[in-house]
Amino acid sequence: MSRLYDTVEPSVIDDEMLRKAVEEQGPKEEAGKIAKQEGVDYCDVLSLRLDFRNILKVDNLWQFTKLTKLQMDNNIIEKIEGMDALVNLRWLDMSFNNIEMIEGLDKLTKLEDLTLFNNRITRLENMDSLPNLHVLSVGNNKIDQLDNLIYLRRFPNLRTLNLTGNPVCDDQGYKLFAVAYLSHLVYLDFRLIDEDTRQKAHSLYENKLGELMHNEKQAEVAIEAEKKAAQELLKHKDAYVEHLNSSVLFESMYKEDPEGMKLALLPGLQDMLKDFQDKFVEVCMKIFEFGMKEYEKRCKEMREFNTCIQDAEAANKKQAVTVIDAFEEYKKKLFTELLVTSDAEVQERKMNEYHEGVNETWDKLMGLEMQLVDQLEETIKDFERNMTDLMSQLVEYIQGLITQVRDLENSHNEKLLEMCMTVLEKVVKNEMDEELPDDLRMLFVDKDTIVNAIGASHDVHLIKIDNREDEIVTRSGAWLSGHMQKIHADECARNRARVVEITNYIDHLRDEIDTQFMP
Amino acid sequence: MDIIIEDGQEESPDADVEELKEELEAIQVTAEPIIEPTIPNITKEDFSEYPESYKDNTNKEKLILAYVENYRRQYVHLFRDRKPLFLNPLNECGIEKFVCTTLRPTLLSYKALYHWQGCAEFVADYLTMKQLEPPQELPMCLFSPSTILKRQLGNCFDFSNILCSLLLGAGYDAYVVSGYATKEICLADESRQICPLLQPKKEVLKEAEKPEPRKYTVKPPRDLRSKFIIKMEARRKKEAEEEEKKKQQEEEERIAELEKPPPDALYGLRIHAWVLVRGGKREVPEDFFIEPFTGQSYPPSSPSFLGIESVWNSTNYWANMQNCASGCKDMSFDLMDTEKWEYMLAGSDQTQIEIPDAEEELYDLDDDEKENEDEKHLDMPATWVLPICVTKNQYEMRCPQGKKTTLYKKAKLEKYANYLLKDGLVTRLSVYDNNELTDLKRVQESFENREDKLTTRVHQGGLITEDFVEGRPRSLQQHVYKASNPGPEAERTMTFFHKKLRVDGLCKREETPTEMTEHFVNRDDFLFLRHVLFGKRQKKVAPATAEGPPRPILKITEKFHRNDALSASKDVEEQIFIIHEDKIQITYHREDPNITASTRDFYKPPNAEEKGGSLQWSNDMTNTFQVNPHGSPAKNLAIYENLLQLIQTEQKSIQAVRSSEEEVKEILMDRQKEELASELAISVYDTERNEKAKKHRKELERLAMEEKLRRQEMEMDYLAPFLAQIGNPDKISKTQAFKLKEDCLADLKQRLIDKANLIQLRFEKETSELHKRQQDYQQKQVAMTKEDEEQYFNYCSEAMFRIHILELRLNRHKQMAPHKYMQLEQKLRQDPRLSEQRFVKIII
Repeated sequence: MSRLYDTVEPSVIDDEMLRKAVEEQGPKEEAGKIAKQEGVDYCDVLSLRLDFRNILKVDNLWQFTKLTKLQMDNNIIEKIEGMDALVNLRWLDMSFNNIEMIEGLDKLTKLEDLTLFNNRITRLENMDSLPNLHVLSVGNNKIDQLDNLIYLRRFPNLRTLNLTGNPVCDDQGYKLFAVAYLSHLVYLDFRLIDEDTRQKAHSLYENKLGELMHNEKQAEVAIEAEKKAAQELLKHKDAYVEHLNSSVLFESMYKEDPEGMKLALLPGLQDMLKDFQDKFVEVCMKIFEFGMKEYEKRCKEMREFNTCIQDAEAANKKQAVTVIDAFEEYKKKLFTELLVTSDAEVQERKMNEYHEGVNETWDKLMGLEMQLVDQLEETIKDFERNMTDLMSQLVEYIQGLITQVRDLENSHNEKLLEMCMTVLEKVVKNEMDEELPDDLRMLFVDKDTIVNAIGASHDVHLIKIDNREDEIVTRSGAWLSGHMQKIHADECARNRARVVEITNYIDHLRDEIDTQFMP
Repeated sequence: MDIIIEDGQEESPDADVEELKEELEAIQVTAEPIIEPTIPNITKEDFSEYPESYKDNTNKEKLILAYVENYRRQYVHLFRDRKPLFLNPLNECGIEKFVCTTLRPTLLSYKALYHWQGCAEFVADYLTMKQLEPPQELPMCLFSPSTILKRQLGNCFDFSNILCSLLLGAGYDAYVVSGYATKEICLADESRQICPLLQPKKEVLKEAEKPEPRKYTVKPPRDLRSKFIIKMEARRKKEAEEEEKKKQQEEEERIAELEKPPPDALYGLRIHAWVLVRGGKREVPEDFFIEPFTGQSYPPSSPSFLGIESVWNSTNYWANMQNCASGCKDMSFDLMDTEKWEYMLAGSDQTQIEIPDAEEELYDLDDDEKENEDEKHLDMPATWVLPICVTKNQYEMRCPQGKKTTLYKKAKLEKYANYLLKDGLVTRLSVYDNNELTDLKRVQESFENREDKLTTRVHQGGLITEDFVEGRPRSLQQHVYKASNPGPEAERTMTFFHKKLRVDGLCKREETPTEMTEHFVNRDDFLFLRHVLFGKRQKKVAPATAEGPPRPILKITEKFHRNDALSASKDVEEQIFIIHEDKIQITYHREDPNITASTRDFYKPPNAEEKGGSLQWSNDMTNTFQVNPHGSPAKNLAIYENLLQLIQTEQKSIQAVRSSEEEVKEILMDRQKEELASELAISVYDTERNEKAKKHRKELERLAMEEKLRRQEMEMDYLAPFLAQIGNPDKISKTQAFKLKEDCLADLKQRLIDKANLIQLRFEKETSELHKRQQDYQQKQVAMTKEDEEQYFNYCSEAMFRIHILELRLNRHKQMAPHKYMQLEQKLRQDPRLSEQRFVKIII
């Protein structure tokens, strides 16, 4: 909008432009000299200005991960893009460009100040991931829908809004509408919103606003409830007993069982089925409750284990720190002494003393670490044993309960078979009183058919139950081994890191005296 | 009666007065004796200071005394070998009074007197003790509390009597005890006791809660030392300890033996009185004694109290029936137990007293039987003593003359009343190293109402510790310094009230001549310690000048708490500015699992701070140790900027140190000034002491009075009418003046005489009227109704009263008139309008 396309050659963001910009805007004088000497990493740059450069396309910014402020005003950019890497950006200025649509800002979650002044934007949209937005300037654009402002209600921190120069501002009620719907606003179009306007706007839009707020509240509550339910489900999943506190398993048995569905229509079977379901769900509930109880137990066990490990590590760290502090103290004293004496022999002796001290410190530190490793290993073993016990207990008990479920299914099957036999007899004898649905009648042609049908139904049910059981067993086993592996790996990594640290420190100590007192 | 007085310039005013007197003498009134009903004798004025109840016994008191006598006789009959009881001593008017009626439960309106400690201390302080004479016999007299309080002198019975009255008034279950005690107690000799202020406080040591043994607590590393050796070591240690203990014990025994009081010939015979407070009321858990001379409490098992004859309070009297061979150790104070305590009045039963009013109605139901029973008992007559009252002034003065000195074991305690001493000293406790009180070890002084908020000052071992309360500028809380060197740059420790009061969060500053350490709390920059090392002052400038150059700073060490907003490897834990070496050492905080900390040293070129921003960078200016060897090393640019910033910080730190030094100096100056002035703060509500308020009030009163006088003067210009007669001339000639004076005096004389005449006239009228009525009465006396008669008598008494008044007035007028005349004379002579000088001037 600001410039005609063909007047100047459009450019792209290339390495040279970036380097120049960084150098120009970087430190000055002595610091600048140093910066030039060693070069500036783009990832360290905090603010960058790329204005009046005739840029058409945003690109090559992926290195600037720490950037908090980016100015790209007065270019000919048409599309917001290529900024997904700038996750720390707080301040973005893209005014005086040719942008037509707000987009590509999804990754800039820390953005607080966004300026899109003088562009060709028609709608406020695609900014859902910017909860921290404080200042929004979209003046001199083509926004024409008053209702579009309601979109801005989702920014609880928005204090300053600039919309001047948009078609929407010609609307009579624009100002009051904005004030009423965006109650957090303090400044609108460069002006402080006064109390009078606020009241007027409020009274004018009270009803509509009330309705809106009510809806918003309800939506919020619904989201909250969903979140809570999801959390609960996650917990149940960790306990391996999700959905067992309802009749989901029972229903799933019949869902993939066409024969069973047909048979369910048999007269007199309804009551039996109901009875069966009740008992089934009851046992499922038992499994669920037990599973949750065991889950709590496991959590407690893990908490205790973690605190104990932390305590042990902290105590060990304390000991090590005392050793190091003592040595640092000694080192300081020794260095001052060395500085004072000029006697070569004394110096030699002191140096030897120092090296001995370093070795001793190394011994102490490594000893402490070895001790900790032993202690932790033992504790981890204990924990593993206990956890395995807990898990096998859980699996055994659940398996017992599932056997009960299976028994229920079996007995139900028998009853069903019996019942079907009588029905078959009646059908054969044509003594059937009630009408049977056609597809059900089809099953009662002869004994084999009905027995097969019932058998198939039974098999489907048993497979479902078996699957559930297998799931519990495999999942729990997998979790346990995964968890223990992680603990071992963590401990291993900790030990590695500590040993490296100690070695590094000891090397440093040895170097230090050499660099300080060796010619 | 018309009296014309010849004027006399030469005639002396005395003669005039004489004349006036004579004139007035002539006016006589005579009150005739009247036959009339008795006119009530208004008061039998008594000039003795004691009220009636002190000088006589009521019938009830006589009855109770008879009862007491009966009790005493039975007692003597039953226990021939026991000493007499203290039952009915004489009071200050020589009248026998029962001891129980000498108590008067009183609650005084002073907050401290609501608790037994306060009461005991007050009684012990307020009165001067007088020992019994002879010490093994009961006193003959027991004075009323009011008399004792007035005299501020009493024996143990007087002390106990007052203390028990106060305690009963405060709701304690208190009794006066008459018994035997050791010599030390009887003479209030505390020189073998440790001063209560010095007694070690019982420290409640809270045992650190042992953490519960947890399931996964790691096992401690295996102990590879020989168990046998450890055991032997422990045994040896134990033996040594026991040896030490034994020695200590022996030493203690030896000292105790040395300090034992010399044997007392009258041991067990010395009579003493003290107060027993029984448990149950006012949350007192168990019985205890209060020794009234010292105000100290003792458990009943104390070996100082050797026996009890009797106890009493305002409700009853009990004689002890228990054996006191082993002191009061095993004594039961269950006064309801008739085996152990013989009561005097059966009716005033303890249980009955304790029944609150609300339940009384309940009792009314079975009143009939009860009442019959009750009537048989004699109850305690009302007390005969005047109410106990202590004025605020007396209460604040505490001890006689506001001073009291008590000697304790190796200590001397001096008490002073508030505002008595100019520097606000209230107590001074001197602690000595020996029993003869010659080797002073420690002096502890407490102050009250100091303007500079000083509360205590302790001298000990050459150190002076001063404590202040909140409210001083700079929030000083405690100041410890050497008595020999109170000036700046010496050894001292200052503690501050840092919570909210000090913006810089300073809580403590310790100083020695070469070091200064400041501790901070709750600072935004997480600084908690700054340590400064000073060098020796260069001796270029003459050291005699007060303001020499500041001490050179050699090293500043600053320590910081962890700032969670920064990553540990960027968060400075300690920065050391070694100024004389141009070196800066930085130590960063440890990352959570790490045991080593990153460090960075800077060697800055000399005088870097003066060159501004143009500091040249070279790689050997820094030396770094990085904990994580794989982490990317910091860029030179960042290090350079860090250095620039540190140079600034160094300047700021130096500034801070200098201002700290300045502050110390200012505080010391302030202290010096305050010590010199030593003003006392007086509450605005203290109308007695607040001089300003008092002055203001007095001033207001004075102004009001003056205004009143002035107005009177204005109204009553005695010369005004006479001046008006001669036309209010501006100047008065001498003859005019004489004339004025004469006129004025004559006028007064006339008026005085007129007044006398007037009174006489009234008097005559009144008498004649009375006469008439009397005659009338005598005539009609027989026929008169009772009412009429009464009316007549009323009239008579009234008339007599009026006549009497008139007579008095006339007499008084006669007395006063010459004075008034003289006064006017005097006034006229001094009146500036009539003064001689003026006339002289006019004439000239």
